[in-house]
Amino acid sequence: MVDVTRRHFIGTATALAAPAIIRPAWAADTVKLGCLFSSSGTMANIEGRLNHVVRMAADGLNAKGGVNGRRIEVVTSDPASDWPLYAQIGRQMLQQEKVAALFGCWTSVSRKSVLPVVEQNDGLLFYPLHFEGDENSKNIVYVNSPPASSVLPAVDYLMGAEGVGAKRFFMIGSDYVWPRTINKQLKAYWVSKGVAANAWREEYVPLGFSNFQTLVNQIRSFASEPGGQPIVVLTVVGSSIPDFLREFANQGIRATDVPILGLDMVEADLEGLDTAPLVGHLNCWAYLQAAKAEANIRFLGDWAAYVKAKSVPFSADTVIDPMVSAYDSVQLWALAAAKAGSFDVPEVRKAFAGLSFADPSGYTLTMTGENNYVSRGVFIGSVNEKQGFDILWQSPDAPKPVPFSPYG
Amino acid sequence: MVEGAGRAKAWICGVLLAVCSMQSAFAEASRPDRAGFAASLCGDGAAQSKALDEFVRLSGEAAIDDLAVAGDLLRGMLERRFLCLGDATLLLDKAGASEGRDVASGTVHTAAGGRSPVLGLRQRALVETASGIAALVAGETVELRSKGLAAVERRMAGVPEAVLVRAHKTESDAGLKAAIGVAAQGAALSSTDPARRLAAIGAVADTPSGAAFSRLSALKTDQAYRADAEFRAALDAGVARVERAIWIGNGLAVLYNGLSFASILFMAAAGLAIIFGLMGVINLAQGEFIMVGAYAAYGVQEVFRRFAPGFLDLYLLAAIPVAFLAAALVGIVIEALILRHLYRRPLMSLLATWAVSLFLINLVRVVFGSQNLQFAMPSYVSGGMPLYADFIVTWNRLFAIAFATATLVLTLLILKRTPLGLDIRAVTQNRDMAACLGIRTRRVDRLAFGFGSGLAGLAGVALCPIYSVNPGMGTTFIVDSFMVVVLGGVGTVIGTLVAALGIGGANVLIEPLYGAVAAKVIVLAGIILFLQRRPEGLFAVRRRR
Repeated sequence: MVDVTRRHFIGTATALAAPAIIRPAWAADTVKLGCLFSSSGTMANIEGRLNHVVRMAADGLNAKGGVNGRRIEVVTSDPASDWPLYAQIGRQMLQQEKVAALFGCWTSVSRKSVLPVVEQNDGLLFYPLHFEGDENSKNIVYVNSPPASSVLPAVDYLMGAEGVGAKRFFMIGSDYVWPRTINKQLKAYWVSKGVAANAWREEYVPLGFSNFQTLVNQIRSFASEPGGQPIVVLTVVGSSIPDFLREFANQGIRATDVPILGLDMVEADLEGLDTAPLVGHLNCWAYLQAAKAEANIRFLGDWAAYVKAKSVPFSADTVIDPMVSAYDSVQLWALAAAKAGSFDVPEVRKAFAGLSFADPSGYTLTMTGENNYVSRGVFIGSVNEKQGFDILWQSPDAPKPVPFSPYG
Repeated sequence: MVEGAGRAKAWICGVLLAVCSMQSAFAEASRPDRAGFAASLCGDGAAQSKALDEFVRLSGEAAIDDLAVAGDLLRGMLERRFLCLGDATLLLDKAGASEGRDVASGTVHTAAGGRSPVLGLRQRALVETASGIAALVAGETVELRSKGLAAVERRMAGVPEAVLVRAHKTESDAGLKAAIGVAAQGAALSSTDPARRLAAIGAVADTPSGAAFSRLSALKTDQAYRADAEFRAALDAGVARVERAIWIGNGLAVLYNGLSFASILFMAAAGLAIIFGLMGVINLAQGEFIMVGAYAAYGVQEVFRRFAPGFLDLYLLAAIPVAFLAAALVGIVIEALILRHLYRRPLMSLLATWAVSLFLINLVRVVFGSQNLQFAMPSYVSGGMPLYADFIVTWNRLFAIAFATATLVLTLLILKRTPLGLDIRAVTQNRDMAACLGIRTRRVDRLAFGFGSGLAGLAGVALCPIYSVNPGMGTTFIVDSFMVVVLGGVGTVIGTLVAALGIGGANVLIEPLYGAVAAKVIVLAGIILFLQRRPEGLFAVRRRR
């Protein structure tokens, strides 16, 4: 009995494993791309959109005949805002689905958990969020900006005469690696600018935290202390952002009293909020929906049409930076794969140097060639009453990315 | 400077000519000025700031008409009704209208191609101040003028004294006149006249806040503080008074925050206490019943929007019975289809309710999508009112507190005063004995499950002004509500109430000291220790087995 069972087991296992072992993904006429974006949990509202954008980009490429003569097939998943699950699903996608590249992660903690997986399997992860920098893996392509080309220009703007001449800073973030690293770098930056250490406060909340009453009370009393114009540097993520904004507005603080610089705040976070009392708060990204560019008009039109055609359960009129960055990621990968004439990761990686194309923001996105970072433009947005952002400031050109911050 | 002087002259001309009541000449003389002011609002940040600074500086003397016109323009700018169109500027009647009046000529013009200027933060603050001044001095209704006063008080440092003096002189409403007087008194903190300074200290101390404390404390470095004993005594008394008021205000805020968090916890847990207490079912889908309630409220809102847009503000009240029934119905269906078969197997019922929870989340996600729902928040649940010192009562939290109180009363009445409540209590205490006495326990189970689910649905209504409504909203409450129920003691509503108050209060007290992350950990550790000593919770129902 035992023998039979064991033989049975081995036979079945071989039969199940065979297709994956024998046949690389591109042996057929398709090539697979994998998505690691949650459609449940605290990140669902914003990450969920990115699956659809990757599909849309793939459909666009397929309509033009695919890449290297192969059709792109997109494999999606739901890591459920559970960071270790990103690594587990990523490993499955690389080893079993044999995806040519992964597109995924929003929070830095999820990226950090996928990092060893892509390095062990020599895979490629395209990461579409602006982040804390201080990391450079040959297996991750950082398609958005490190702090030197997103956060610091925005903080400079607020500290300058054009902004509000900010002198004091209330940092409030979700308790994980991105907010803590960003705040560490900011503090070192302020020290380098001669700001005294008693001019800032730092508070953290658990992920998914929603009861901001006490913290907003603290912000109000911080703001009433003497010492100059205060601002809030907000690095909470996911569902905490709208909950924080609602409490902030309800306690009667306006942007002209204490402006919020929301580093992870996007158009989608304002959905469902009355933004009239929030007008004037700021964010900074490499793309804003209000960007004036031909490519942007085309992208907005494509997304609206895609939402309608596939009845995607997200707003047709809301486009956020990470969506554009995820779209750019697929384009970058396709350009590199076409240039390399192969889907092999080492070949594709070699082809990255100097790739560039005009992305929807109106700037030209360029791979530096020195590392897997890209250079992109910088926007500072200001919340308007229509649940969107107006462009308050934008950089004259796309600054070269600085992966490792000299601060902190 | 030359341009500035020219504009100042034009304002003064306006005043003189208006006095001479030469209407046509007035219009001619002031027109280029108004247009010039409007044009500089279309310029870059520096041009905007310059024009606004100058407007504020001259606003103490400018003609009422001019202030009214400028006020219109500035309000239009804040409301996005002000458009720049080449060299011309338009003022629309409402944001997004297709045509508007030209500011210079008054002729109607199409709005196509116009751009409404984006205000930087500095400029926005100036526009708010300037528009407040214009409203305070030249506003037509008392309401407009008192709004103006509120705007001016926010940024007292940038307002010329002449504005308040003038507003005080011309104000016809007695209450508002007094309020302006107090504001004007408070503005004289750095006056050279010692008597006015003392009055100012008193006035500032009368409206205590953190900002008032900073303003008064700053005066301690003033040389008069060392030199003048009377001044020192007045200032010390003022600072002490403000300090005491802030202390009381902060105490009230802690109470209020604790109470509001506790009421949220209580509402999320009340239904669970009944279900867990009665049937011993660990219902992991309880959070999803909250979500069902919130989505029902959304449905009611959409119905109102379509059929009775005039009564849209009332949808939240109308949603109360709908959400209760919707969640109760879902609960009863689930009980009848699934849980009924699993009463003797607690582990299976736990897994089954978890499956139900996943099913409901994904069903809602497929039907509605996973983005946050758009709620039109009625005025009675948005914003807040400063009550005392820095203590602000936010309406959405007050709504939740009132709602939780009503839920508590309702639940107690049903449990203690109705036949169903009697049955529920009997079955909770001894199921077999109750069955022997002829109570149809299965029917009681079903109704109680429906009642518990309905309570969760009510929580959904109370929570939608506070939290974002999306398919995953329920999962955030499930751990907290189990904590409350287990701490309170299984099956007692009063226990649930006390536990909710305790956990809510502890969180709010610990948070400012050690941060929100530590607060969660400390509270959880405290509960575990407490349950080690008293596993049955705070209030245990005596059961006979």
